Amino acid sequence: MADHFSGPRAIADPASDITDVYVFPSPERPGHLVLVLNVFPSAAPAALFSDALRYRFRLRPVTVTTAGGTPVFVPDADEYAFDVGFAAPSPDGGGGMQAGTCVTPSGAEIPVQVGEEKPTEMFGVRVFAGPRLDPFFIDLVAEQAAHTLGRLAFRADGVNAVNGANVLSLVVELDVAAVLGRDTGPLLAVVGETVVAGPHPVRLERMGRPEIKNFILQDKQFDNVNRDLELRDLYNAEDAFNLSPAYVGAYRARLNANLPFFDRLDGRIDWRPDDQGVHPLTGMLLADFLVVDTSKPFTDGGFLEIERAVLAGRPHTTCGGRAPDDDIVDIFYTLLVGGLDGPRISDGVDGPTRPATRSFPYLNSPNPDPPDLRAVLAAVSAPPKAAT
Amino acid sequence: MISEDQCPRTTSGVVAVTNLQAQIDGLAARLAGARLGRAPTVADCAVLIDLLLLHGHVLGRIADYERAAELAEALVRDAPDDASARLARARTLATLHRFTEALADLDAAQRCGADPAVLDGERAANLAAVGEALVLRRRAAGHRRDFTTIGALAVLEGERGNTTEAERLLTEARTRYRGVSPFPVASLDYRRGLMWLGAGDLPAAGAWFDAAITRVPAYAPALGHRAEVDAALGDRGRAIDRLRPLAVSSDDPEYAATLARVLGDAGHAREAERWRLSAAARYDELVRRHPEAFADHAAAFWLTVGRDRPEGPDLARRHYASRPSPVPALLDTDTPTG
Repeated sequence: MADHFSGPRAIADPASDITDVYVFPSPERPGHLVLVLNVFPSAAPAALFSDALRYRFRLRPVTVTTAGGTPVFVPDADEYAFDVGFAAPSPDGGGGMQAGTCVTPSGAEIPVQVGEEKPTEMFGVRVFAGPRLDPFFIDLVAEQAAHTLGRLAFRADGVNAVNGANVLSLVVELDVAAVLGRDTGPLLAVVGETVVAGPHPVRLERMGRPEIKNFILQDKQFDNVNRDLELRDLYNAEDAFNLSPAYVGAYRARLNANLPFFDRLDGRIDWRPDDQGVHPLTGMLLADFLVVDTSKPFTDGGFLEIERAVLAGRPHTTCGGRAPDDDIVDIFYTLLVGGLDGPRISDGVDGPTRPATRSFPYLNSPNPDPPDLRAVLAAVSAPPKAAT
Repeated sequence: MISEDQCPRTTSGVVAVTNLQAQIDGLAARLAGARLGRAPTVADCAVLIDLLLLHGHVLGRIADYERAAELAEALVRDAPDDASARLARARTLATLHRFTEALADLDAAQRCGADPAVLDGERAANLAAVGEALVLRRRAAGHRRDFTTIGALAVLEGERGNTTEAERLLTEARTRYRGVSPFPVASLDYRRGLMWLGAGDLPAAGAWFDAAITRVPAYAPALGHRAEVDAALGDRGRAIDRLRPLAVSSDDPEYAATLARVLGDAGHAREAERWRLSAAARYDELVRRHPEAFADHAAAFWLTVGRDRPEGPDLARRHYASRPSPVPALLDTDTPTG
């Protein structure tokens, strides 16, 4: 899934497990940019943020270059970071809310209460933190079947594997001119991270584009360089804007090995690797961040539009980035399998459990009713009924 | 005792226990949804089994172990050739001390293509013969030196009585921790406490149980053993204060039994008798359902706090006959001791 359960370490600590990152111009307030970081896959509404982590958005202005032969995005050195930290609730519970603080790029501190529906707004920034309905959607079984069968296995009546699931969401909306400055952008690269708080800030997870880790990096069987290596924890620990020279070769090899698999799924080759075996999309996907144009208005479906425009050598027409209702599975598969001009490929799931709202915090209230565990386990453990 | 470098920053134990339950509830919701559409994935079920085992261990809830075991049986029934299913069931079997069956599942997992390094770790946890386990643990630590492999080797060295080597490895393991979940670190501190308890160093044992409790305040096994140390050091009042809530919240009769013993020693005969009866009833139930896991605990109970149960020595002898562990001196006499 987008980034759900994306590596052994993330499974061990769900509050560090980023499920999705979104960035889009506010549909409610022109001139404002919305950043969303979701963690904790399949969370019950009682889930809490970790007090040992910083939840971080990093933004950098970005430009496009074709200097290496294929177009790639190059981030500036200037960076704008929003850091959100949380306190532990008192040991006796007490029914109190979990409190947090969002620190803006200028160092201003904005208090936030987990689960508080009324957002905190200060210094040109609005903040929400709390459980929400997971906006992601995918027919996961059909997607995984493609990896097993070596051909597309989507059906028109796909089943959303994330239907009704919750996540913990952080939503930060900022006045671009007031917070970043009038001359910043308009193209911005955005990543979300979970980082250990304190003097040794180890990065546990990072996410830019969805499904880089679970769709593309996870499979090992095509990778002749590192066939036995679980790359995802290593990849998660990297600085998205400065990949480690010691490991970038391993990521590049895995992408070059796995991307042709997707291209072959329709029985046709649309992306021809160069004579070194480098896939045309490898450089762009290794620059693993969302790219958004803050000068354009909000639109659904902008995911990868800027990247596709750059690859096609035309100006982009939308805000790009990623909005909650963007069908990233269809968009990714269409690009990877069919190239820039291929027909749309659909997994048969065209929207989330509930469409995103057009007002802050844009994500829907959580599913309040987790089923009774005993009943679920009894149902799952029961022998299958004989066919009649 | 612990330097700053050896104190990894981890999520508050209160948050972590809340989130562990939230994870279980969330996955259960997902399985319920999956059941309506199509079969739940083996991966989801295997994760849920691991979470239930962790929840059971941390909070002392045997019911969680039983739920995990039921789920694992169903998983292997539905996906007998899946390595993850076999591994998951092997873990539940090992938790309930059904080591022979667990090893058979690990063999099946190997035939299904399970990761050899994972299998080594699981087999080491199941092997009664310490020598064989030591070979596997040393091989794992030599192959990949991380918190898990070093910690497991350290615990085994501690169980062999090599406390100096175990201490060195335990310290190294802590410095290699790279997550923020408090459970692995608390668990290692707890095992360190057990090592010193076995070695008879009560202050050291108490300090490591305290470290585990500080990290995860609800950590039942650490609280229970800390109470034993308190009682052994003469602070029965504090031991009783620790044990009373545990005996209520946990369905493991060990806490009720220990509480009964400490209350009895402190002269609170009436309350001691109430907890003794409660523990006896629960041991009866658990020995019937899970003899491999509870026969030794029940025998120890009936030989000490339980006193009036004649089957104690027989049960204990039967248990120790199937294990390489030395038979406790307690069994040299047929007369229960209190």
